[in-house]
Amino acid sequence: MTKVMTTREAVSKFVADGDMVYIGGYICRPPFAAVHEIIRQRKKDLTVVRSNAADDFDMMIGAGVVSRFIGTFLSLGVYGLGRCYRRSMEKGVPHKIDIEEYTNLSLPLMLMAGSLGMSFVPVNDMKGSDLLNVSSFMGDGKYKIIDSPFDGRPTVLVPALRPDVAIIHVQQADETGNAQIWGIGGDCKAGANAAKKVIVSCERIVDRDVIGKDPSRTIVPSFKVAAVVEEPFGAHPGYTPGFYDVDFSLGFLYQQASNTVEGFEAFLEEWVYGVADRGAYIAHYIDRFGYAAYQKLMAAFDYSYPVSYAY
Amino acid sequence: MSENPNNYYIKPELMACCGAREIRDHDVVIVGTGFPAMSANIAKHTHSPNAILMQESGVVDARPMRPALSVGDPCLNPGSAMAGCLIDVMGMFLQAGWVDVGFLSGSQVDKFGNINTTCIGDYHHPKSRLPGSGGANPIGTLAKKTLIIALHDHRRLAEKVDFITTPGYIDGPGARDGWGFPPNTGPECIITNKAVLRFDKSTGQAYLASYHPGSTVEEILSLTPWHLKVADDVFETLPPTPEELRVIREVLDPHRMIRIYEGRGYV
Repeated sequence: MTKVMTTREAVSKFVADGDMVYIGGYICRPPFAAVHEIIRQRKKDLTVVRSNAADDFDMMIGAGVVSRFIGTFLSLGVYGLGRCYRRSMEKGVPHKIDIEEYTNLSLPLMLMAGSLGMSFVPVNDMKGSDLLNVSSFMGDGKYKIIDSPFDGRPTVLVPALRPDVAIIHVQQADETGNAQIWGIGGDCKAGANAAKKVIVSCERIVDRDVIGKDPSRTIVPSFKVAAVVEEPFGAHPGYTPGFYDVDFSLGFLYQQASNTVEGFEAFLEEWVYGVADRGAYIAHYIDRFGYAAYQKLMAAFDYSYPVSYAY
Repeated sequence: MSENPNNYYIKPELMACCGAREIRDHDVVIVGTGFPAMSANIAKHTHSPNAILMQESGVVDARPMRPALSVGDPCLNPGSAMAGCLIDVMGMFLQAGWVDVGFLSGSQVDKFGNINTTCIGDYHHPKSRLPGSGGANPIGTLAKKTLIIALHDHRRLAEKVDFITTPGYIDGPGARDGWGFPPNTGPECIITNKAVLRFDKSTGQAYLASYHPGSTVEEILSLTPWHLKVADDVFETLPPTPEELRVIREVLDPHRMIRIYEGRGYV
């Protein structure tokens, strides 16, 4: 059964106000088209989750769609601190978000625990740090500490996460949702499989036979997937291995714009509210920077050797 | 110095070399970007050809064609030995005890090597909200030794950090053992733009081990906000060798991106 639809339909149907939303990617394969659509549809009161958050999370916080953030880190990478994130946390603009902070070890494992149907996972980090002295909306449920029943060592237990919906961007998927990636994985596989349903955004929809030619690349199988969206250039200004590079110039533009509330609002107007969908976004990009700049981001092809699963 | 290009170097190059010298052949090293990646690659191209470098995002033994600008940089993918995920590197390799060296930098570092990358001021009403832990906390907790990069002034070094994002020796000797950290782990040194500080394991506190050329012990004491002990055998940091400089300039960073650190105060 085909699950192919537009990003607008997928976000409208499967992301509800108040949901816990896992959003995959870190510079590598962020589902930016869907992030823009969430902002465009003015979703409210979301709890957003990911290790190592970047400009996509900063933008959602600035746009006011986020109430709670379960995370480990948020910055604009080479462009420094997240401006909207800082305004939210320091000045309450547009509102102060509640944040639960973990680490890049514990949070991916919390998602993995969710994907495994467990209620918690033991981890060996955060001990002796102030991360154990602060909590917000999760309260006492942020963590527990026990002496390991096996070796007696103090061990931190952190709760499993079961997001209402995960949104990931992948290289290719078939129309039922079998989703394949290559390159840096981040916490994408754990996040997608922890969620109750998955929106798969992809560079290209391929035939089921193409999936079957290299099935080891699949990170989430069709039965967990609610929607499949073909969204070429859908991770921009992040990158997708084998398709296009990171766009540092747009990253810089975002940093400069988000230095002020007015600049940020103008950026949203130009790149999010002012374009109907990713197609219009690409058209605007080419209008603004020229086709050569767009073409320059496209990846050269350097194919790996074909593999054989024959027996 | 600039008349003689063979001897001329900038402070970030010296700091990167200080980091490289802490790495041994066959070490497994978690690097981020900037200095750490530069340091680890200098080591790999000089005395530690068999060191294995990895990024927390899931990449092992990358062979980038340009300096990576983030742990998720696209240049890390082609040529790497493994493009896995966070759980592979932070869980299977780091938490399981396979990582020898972790590099960290901090907005604020204290005398016990505790690092703050969370907030300046009160946590609930921060003067400055910083990025957070990311992979720093587990690296500082679980890597066999941690190398810390910091600016040497009263703002970046502190008697006590505002928030312990990543534990060093916490509040002194025995604290890591009390929490059940892996034995014999912890900060190895703080590499600043003025000096290399090392740790006295009996007190858990940093002391001055070497001062960089152009700095003096007195200057460093005045720039350190706690009473810094000075090693009896304190010495001048060895400048970058011609071979180290060749690797930096010809192999790793021909476009001299390392200069951006001068603009960030690493002078």
